[in-house]
Amino acid sequence: MHTLQDPEFGNKMVTLMAALVLVLQIAMVAQRWIVTNIRLFAAQSFLLAAIANTIAYYNHAPHIYVAAVLTLLAKGILVPIVLERLVARIEIRQEIEPIVNIPLSIVISGGLTLVGYVLAEPFYRPEEAPGAATLGHNALAVAISLFLIGFFMMINRRKALTQVLALLCLENGLFLAAISLTYGMPLIVELGVLFDVLVAVMVLGILVYRIRETFESMDVSRMRRLRG
Amino acid sequence: MILALLLAVPLSACAACAVSAVSAVSRRRSVLEAVNVTAFAITFLLALAVASQVLRSGAISLWNGFLYADALSALVILLNAAVALVCSVYAVGYLREDQRLGALDGEVGSHGAEAKLRMYYSLTPLLVFSMLLVTLANNLGVMWAAIELTTLASVFLVTFYGKVTSLEAAWKYAMIGGVGLSMALFGTLLTYYAGHKFPGSEGVAGLNWSILVGQAAQLDKPSMRMAFILVLLGYGTKAGLAPMHTWKPDAYSEAPVPSAAILSVAVLNCAIYGLVRFYVLTSRCLGAQYPGSLLLLLGLFSMGIAVPFVLVQKNFRRMLAYSTIDQAGMMVTALGIGGKLAAFALMLHMTFHTVAKSLLFLSAGNIYQCFKTDLFLKLKGGVLKVLPITGAAFCLGTMAIVGLPPFSLFQSEFLMIRAAFGTAHFLVGALFILFGLGVFTGVTLHVSGMLLGTSEEPRAAWHPWRDTPIAILAVILIVIGFWLPSDLLELIRRAAEVVSP
Repeated sequence: MHTLQDPEFGNKMVTLMAALVLVLQIAMVAQRWIVTNIRLFAAQSFLLAAIANTIAYYNHAPHIYVAAVLTLLAKGILVPIVLERLVARIEIRQEIEPIVNIPLSIVISGGLTLVGYVLAEPFYRPEEAPGAATLGHNALAVAISLFLIGFFMMINRRKALTQVLALLCLENGLFLAAISLTYGMPLIVELGVLFDVLVAVMVLGILVYRIRETFESMDVSRMRRLRG
Repeated sequence: MILALLLAVPLSACAACAVSAVSAVSRRRSVLEAVNVTAFAITFLLALAVASQVLRSGAISLWNGFLYADALSALVILLNAAVALVCSVYAVGYLREDQRLGALDGEVGSHGAEAKLRMYYSLTPLLVFSMLLVTLANNLGVMWAAIELTTLASVFLVTFYGKVTSLEAAWKYAMIGGVGLSMALFGTLLTYYAGHKFPGSEGVAGLNWSILVGQAAQLDKPSMRMAFILVLLGYGTKAGLAPMHTWKPDAYSEAPVPSAAILSVAVLNCAIYGLVRFYVLTSRCLGAQYPGSLLLLLGLFSMGIAVPFVLVQKNFRRMLAYSTIDQAGMMVTALGIGGKLAAFALMLHMTFHTVAKSLLFLSAGNIYQCFKTDLFLKLKGGVLKVLPITGAAFCLGTMAIVGLPPFSLFQSEFLMIRAAFGTAHFLVGALFILFGLGVFTGVTLHVSGMLLGTSEEPRAAWHPWRDTPIAILAVILIVIGFWLPSDLLELIRRAAEVVSP
């Protein structure tokens, strides 16, 4: 059999790319610069689109191609451009300044990855779906890890823009979970989710801009007027 | 057909107001106001038509089951359309007064009053459209997208006045909402996974509620268990259940009052609606015990957390927000108790709460604009003297919301407590009464201090745009305490049957 048609090869490719996605996520936790963070996010979205393509190819599921292309356009290209322009426009100091220091953050991310694997375990049932359908069970564990690390990034960061990035990482985790669990949601749902992500980035971008203008800072921990 | 019209009307109103900047004629304030009020009046009439059709011939669907309305959807649509109509009329008066007082001008460099009005009058129809889509979408994924859209459409309503505090509130609202809803999306995904092995569930139909509910017993149990927790946390955030409630008082006190009323009443109804849909699936798959106990936990916690915050509250709009958290807790508790009686009480409560809470928010808006403060300390009483009608309406609304007989919410809360004791949830019933008493004490204490007494302010004139909706709501509130139209009662009963047949 030709290597490209062998489902085993596809499985390995997906696992490899999922591992890379996880590495990029941890790199984002470790990175100090906002612009680099945005580019890592773009690379991660690009890899996700590639995973989706691979799964679509080996499972003969044409609607995933559409989702993959849309993800690439929206999250791999459009969102990073919007965010980078925002960074240029608001002229912030480019460092992220997390609450927990970076080495400890990486250790915590490692722990969360472990939790992700534990949580994904019950969903791995090779006996029920033999052959090509087991594609990407590793991907689910990575997806749950992305989700959890995204949560952690959200709590760990003070600046408004970096919290938006953390929210987008959460969303990437969801996309990976969707393609690895069910080979993607129905197309209409996928479209709705993507549309919401785009609108959310725009809404939050405007909000970040106005917070920066008003507070002279993006540090959300300074916003403490509303209490009780 | 009627379902598509129902969605098309607010959407076209949104588009019309958004593009109104291009021509000088349509840029006038009165055009925007007219478009909004007309659109919501038509929406309300269509909602009535949907409700009567559902009563006559059962659930209706359109476009191959993409849109689907049963009695539960029809009830929520009817309530939300009514709130939207009342608030749109009130908003005309409220925003005109704001413009007269110069509250819309803001600091230098921000948008002028005209741009702000256009934003308000185009985002509100968008918000209403997304709420209607929540209740009409059969597909749980589309429902999720619509609920997310309600957040996105209302973020700029929270930042409407452009103050420092409104930005803070909007940021909290958008971020907490965004994280919560991402959990709900994960839950939706797991629900899809739980059912995707069945033949014929490929594609859109695999997430259609009307199909899933028939196969609920065969859904994959571990996935549904996890899905329900995630959805409960997600839509619970949207409903403002504790401990995910922290955005709520900020958003409600910063948004313009008519928007706050829509957020506090109609969006809450949508979130509860989403929870009910998933509760039905989960309880048919795993039995009522599992989702019920989770709902009881969050519901009672929300009721409990509202008590101290209401007691020490200094600001009456924030007090109303905590009262909404308390009411959301009650509804979720009723859902958790389970059984026919509790489901009926829940639907009844949702209806009554819609009337009472919109009345409270709108009267609070009048008080705020007249006294230019929302702090109890600066208000120093005398509202009844200065604003007799608004004050009386606020008093009525307060008595209803704390559950005093003979008002309507007493009946639904009484039914809930009876259902709790009837199904041997003794602790739940006892805590329900205890927390209810706590909120009762706090709210009556603050409100009586606010309404009674004297004030130096001159007696305010009658403002037709703002006072008519309040007067109508007050009359409705009194009437439904004693008499519900038989058709509405039937709709409520059927909606309860969707939850617990």
